[in-house]
Amino acid sequence: MAIRYSWMSPRLALVPAIVITAVAFVGAIGWTLYISFTKSRRFPNYDIYWENFWRQYKRLFNDPNWDTAINNLIFMTIGSALAILFGFILAVLVNKEKTGEGVFRTIYLYPLAVSFIVAGIVWRWMFNPVLGIENFLIELGFENASFNWLADKDTAMWGVIIAIVWHGMGFYLALMLSGLKSINDEIWNAAKLDGISPWKFYTEIVIPMLKFTFLTCAILLSLGVVKTYDIVLAMTGGGPGTSSWTPAYFVVNAYATRGNMGYASSAAFMMLLITLAIFLPLVLLTRWQVKRRAREAV
Amino acid sequence: MSNIDISQREFKHYPEKKRKIKGSSIITFIFLAMIAVAVMIPLYVIIVTSFKTLDQITLGRIFDLPTTWTFEGWNKAWSEVCSGMTCNGVKAGFFTSIKILIPSIIISVGLASVTGYALALWKIKWAGGFLFVLFICAFVPFQVIMIPLVLITAKLGIYGTFWAVAIVHGVLSMPFLTLIFRNFYKDIPPELISAAMMDSGSFWRIFGEIILPMSGNIIIVVLILVITGVWNDFLIGLTFGGFGAQPMTVILANTVITGTGAVRYNVDMAAALLTAIPPLLVYFGLGKFFVQGISAGAIKG
Repeated sequence: MAIRYSWMSPRLALVPAIVITAVAFVGAIGWTLYISFTKSRRFPNYDIYWENFWRQYKRLFNDPNWDTAINNLIFMTIGSALAILFGFILAVLVNKEKTGEGVFRTIYLYPLAVSFIVAGIVWRWMFNPVLGIENFLIELGFENASFNWLADKDTAMWGVIIAIVWHGMGFYLALMLSGLKSINDEIWNAAKLDGISPWKFYTEIVIPMLKFTFLTCAILLSLGVVKTYDIVLAMTGGGPGTSSWTPAYFVVNAYATRGNMGYASSAAFMMLLITLAIFLPLVLLTRWQVKRRAREAV
Repeated sequence: MSNIDISQREFKHYPEKKRKIKGSSIITFIFLAMIAVAVMIPLYVIIVTSFKTLDQITLGRIFDLPTTWTFEGWNKAWSEVCSGMTCNGVKAGFFTSIKILIPSIIISVGLASVTGYALALWKIKWAGGFLFVLFICAFVPFQVIMIPLVLITAKLGIYGTFWAVAIVHGVLSMPFLTLIFRNFYKDIPPELISAAMMDSGSFWRIFGEIILPMSGNIIIVVLILVITGVWNDFLIGLTFGGFGAQPMTVILANTVITGTGAVRYNVDMAAALLTAIPPLLVYFGLGKFFVQGISAGAIKG
């Protein structure tokens, strides 16, 4: 009896997870793809638009707002990469300095506990031209100081990037710190004995050793950027005009504001393709890493 | 178990013999302290602004301390601020968020721990394949599955209630949390389970009597992830809460971002701070676990 139960029970216990995966993930993705080919507008309509099968996708690629969203995605990915760079530099310094490591890490990381909505509201307040930092700088004597970035479509995304870097820097610092700590003590000592310059030591030994950590950070960052919605809404509301739209913002706007399910679904499916394009290297790299470790173990 | 390695290594560094203080070390320390101050600026600004009078705010010195400290902004934010047609402050959102949080925690932790346990410790041929699918699902952006989930919850008749928000949170976090639990449980020696099975322990008895008592740490890590994740979420609450179950972030966004009428920055900042306090308390109270949680998520996720 006991053996029969021990065969059944774990499988029964997995049923909820399997159902959720099948319905809410696999099924829902297929459903989204299906809706994107139908005549659905505000309400779902399951007739496929055979006469003009690619209609929503053609519209999407001709939509200047989608172009803006994709451009902003690329721009934000490059800009927010500063968070990884700062995170690494700070991790190296914190790791070297040791004094106050816990306190520094706690301070650098706290923004991550704050929601994007709150973060966006605070940053928008600091960017306020009359009462915010700009006014503070002018009072300090910098007459030409201009910190009203969010009101200008050329600089609005920079404002958002600053807030994203502030929010995420501590996260990358924490990852880099655990990466640095996983480097063998003997390597540090050997480097010290050899008298290698710190610059050479970090660029030629440490960074190559941490390349997997760097890649993980880069992929997590890009995946985070694809999902960016809340902070844009809180800081710029997508504006000025539509200049700070992101793909995630585009999808929610198409669904909730324009009320077009089919259009929103086509954009959402493109988001999935972008995610896969970023994600695939991670999967392949992990596989490769596992294989390499297995080989080394032999 | 890389987490545990990390924390042990940290301790190893402290008992080093007293180092000579070098000039470069002081410069590094000052630099790190300056960055720390810069990172603290938004928190400082939000706190001082929330205590200022509106008269002082209109003078424009954002970094000044309040000349007279007042709770006026806090009171208005908590109980008077308007979201749409109702003017009950962010208080209503606070209680909705709590109502969403409790079932979310039970669903997420219950589902993920049992699934992780079954996949890690019981011989199931397709466990590897299923884990791979979960790994991919953990990275699917919410927008990709948003519309079908809205249609499903509407069919079930729960759309617009806190149940819908809580269940969607539980469903969406399942793949990721399962991976965390599974990675924790897979290091439990299989002999322990075999012995327990010989002892005629069933799947659920082993879980309740052996596995759960061992999972204190990982449950705290997951709780932190769930609490901060659910509390800080905006889009799921906005999409599934309708008008009846708007969590605190949604009320906050409604009052501050789309609010009409004269802008009262002290009230806005107090409302934002009130929304941020619960996760910040969790963070400052359980910081060590928080760091473990995010590195567990990132490195193994």
